[in-house]
Amino acid sequence: MKPLPSFPKCYKTESKPHKFCPGCGHPIVLKMLGQVIDELRIAERTVFLIDIGCSLLAWDFFDLPTSQTHHGRTIPVAMGFKKAEPEKIVIAYMGDGGAYAIGLQQTITSCLRNDPITTIVVNNTLYAMTGGQMAPTTVENEITATSPSGKKESEFSTLEGPELLSSIASKSAYLARGTTDKPLVLKQYLKKALEAQMNKQFSFVETLSACPLNWKTEANETIIRIQELEKEFKLGEIKR
Amino acid sequence: MGNQILARAAFEAGAKIMYGYPITPSSEILESWIKIAEKDENKNLQYVQTEDEMAAGFATIGSCLAGVPAFTATSGPGNILMQDAFVMAEALRVPMVSMIIQRGGMSTSTVIYSQEEVRLTCFGGNSEGFRIVYSTSNLQELYDYTLKAFQVAWQYRFPTFILADGYQGKMKGEVEIKNQDSSVNKPNVSPILKPGVNLRNCYNLEEEIGEVISQYSDEYQKKRKEIEEFEDYRLEGAETIIIAHGIVGAAVKEAVDSLRNRGQKVGLFRPITLRPFPLKGAKKVLEKAKKIITIESALGQLSELFKSEFYWINVPLLEINKPAVGFTPEEIDKQVCFFAKAKK
Amino acid sequence: MKILFAGEGGQGVQVAAEILAKAGFIEGKKVTYIPNFGVEQRGGVSLAFVSIDEKPIVYPKFETADVLAVFSERSLERIKDYLGPKTKLVKGPMVKNGLKSNFPAKIGNLVVLGAVHKIIEMIKFENLIIAMEERFTKQFEKNPELRKLDTQALLSSK
Repeated sequence: MKPLPSFPKCYKTESKPHKFCPGCGHPIVLKMLGQVIDELRIAERTVFLIDIGCSLLAWDFFDLPTSQTHHGRTIPVAMGFKKAEPEKIVIAYMGDGGAYAIGLQQTITSCLRNDPITTIVVNNTLYAMTGGQMAPTTVENEITATSPSGKKESEFSTLEGPELLSSIASKSAYLARGTTDKPLVLKQYLKKALEAQMNKQFSFVETLSACPLNWKTEANETIIRIQELEKEFKLGEIKR
Repeated sequence: MGNQILARAAFEAGAKIMYGYPITPSSEILESWIKIAEKDENKNLQYVQTEDEMAAGFATIGSCLAGVPAFTATSGPGNILMQDAFVMAEALRVPMVSMIIQRGGMSTSTVIYSQEEVRLTCFGGNSEGFRIVYSTSNLQELYDYTLKAFQVAWQYRFPTFILADGYQGKMKGEVEIKNQDSSVNKPNVSPILKPGVNLRNCYNLEEEIGEVISQYSDEYQKKRKEIEEFEDYRLEGAETIIIAHGIVGAAVKEAVDSLRNRGQKVGLFRPITLRPFPLKGAKKVLEKAKKIITIESALGQLSELFKSEFYWINVPLLEINKPAVGFTPEEIDKQVCFFAKAKK
Repeated sequence: MKILFAGEGGQGVQVAAEILAKAGFIEGKKVTYIPNFGVEQRGGVSLAFVSIDEKPIVYPKFETADVLAVFSERSLERIKDYLGPKTKLVKGPMVKNGLKSNFPAKIGNLVVLGAVHKIIEMIKFENLIIAMEERFTKQFEKNPELRKLDTQALLSSK
């Protein structure tokens, strides 16, 4: 078995152990992201911007310039920073609520502008930090705090982010969906996304993630659940 | 026109990027900036027409975090949406400069004029108003105070506003472009979000954020006397002092002249900074009055600012309010004459 | 000197007022101009306040106009408040008993502007022409004959 990658150099050791829940997908995504930043040797010029939601817990995760923003507004802050400092690598990191609900307008327009920033959306199909409410990525029959009898697709469709963006993105934009269930594949997508930014293109990686707390699942159930999500949300790079 | 002057002044102040969303009566600021950017040989200037005012505000913050002076402009309903960004700028001490061209108050209203965004611009966030707000009264001040706004924002790190209105924005007239010397006008900029910096605006416990707010407040109170500004016009021996700001202040000046010519002992106290409201020097001139009259195109928003700082002043106060409607000098003369003579 | 231009969106009210204001500035006077209009791009209200004086003007709007130029029948109703006993009223070609004009309706505003300019007697005609040239640079480049037509329109009122 291949040894798991070691902790990224850009980890901020003083802030460990981190604040994420046991079983949360965020630490896996962040670890992969940290690895990529190390391997691409871009730590010195990377800026990490995060949304309000569980992503905010990463505010002191990395030894990188990091800022929390407001809910759904991470992308415009990233765009503004990148406009001012085009040589920096700017990452906008958020959850599905921030990217697809309150910030959907910002997400879509950023794609239309082909903003050369990298957006990472950690999709656990609900609003975790506020107690597990429904989100645009909540799937059919999923029970959440605001869909106690299970969400009905007929009342609110399920949003597939990268697919939505693929209908408006520039041909050389990078769009992909990974999963924390397959971290090394996700890592490849993250790497390609950052490389796309270095080529001045829009890049967007959604990653399926687990929230055992709000899913109310035990460890093995969590893994089963995320594997079920992989049947609903197609994994892979979106080729156009 | 006023809006063109604002764009020009921002350019001379060293601004490099503008973000904006079209809204009357401020759209010409972005349009003028774009013209300036396209003429700029060095191609150093940028702009984005964003999808909404929230994006405009937050993108401005993004550029400022990188250490590049950026600004935005809006009015009315856009001002409301931008409060989201403004309050984050307060929390993270981002020196964003914003031009607010007030239009009619209450919902969509008119696209023309009012002074009804005073409270919103000064205290619009879920916050304590750690902002600097300049209320301009004529075209020359649009220019002068924009230059100042960039310097002050980057020096003190509070989001700074030029609070004008649709009359000033659309008005055409003469302005003196002073001092083209680049070093004098430019603010002292440096990157805020840089290696070693992790910024948060989310806190866990009451005491944590309480501490931060108190610190900001202490700093604001300490630095305010360096920032406050007001104009005193013919206040010597004034028995009635009129308090007005913005273009109403300009109209009052003319009315004061005509009243004084007829022997009325009237003067004008015109706050230029609404935040911080002028305290230093104001006490001395105001407590001598026998009557104070506030005049504004709103329902007491200016008066509220005055009352909260000068609640202790033992001088009868009268408010002349006309929400969303302007005052001509003749009208002010008539009203003041009437009320100045009226018994308490 | 306080001049109010009143008409509807699309009648060239603002253009006329801006040219007059610019001419005043070229003449060396202190000038302010301010528009006042509703949201419709066409129709609706379009007002323009122009103040021309020797000393700086502090407030751009006024209560009573010295000269009131009306472009449409409907605007006549709207501007009654600005009429004073000494106000000189100028009615444009689209108004009943208004100025006579054989010019295309599109430049009716220049006929009105010419009349206003004559009445106020504050600006040399050549400065009015310079202001007009500045405003219509692109148009005149495209079609130089407009220059002559527009100048005639300015001169046409008696």
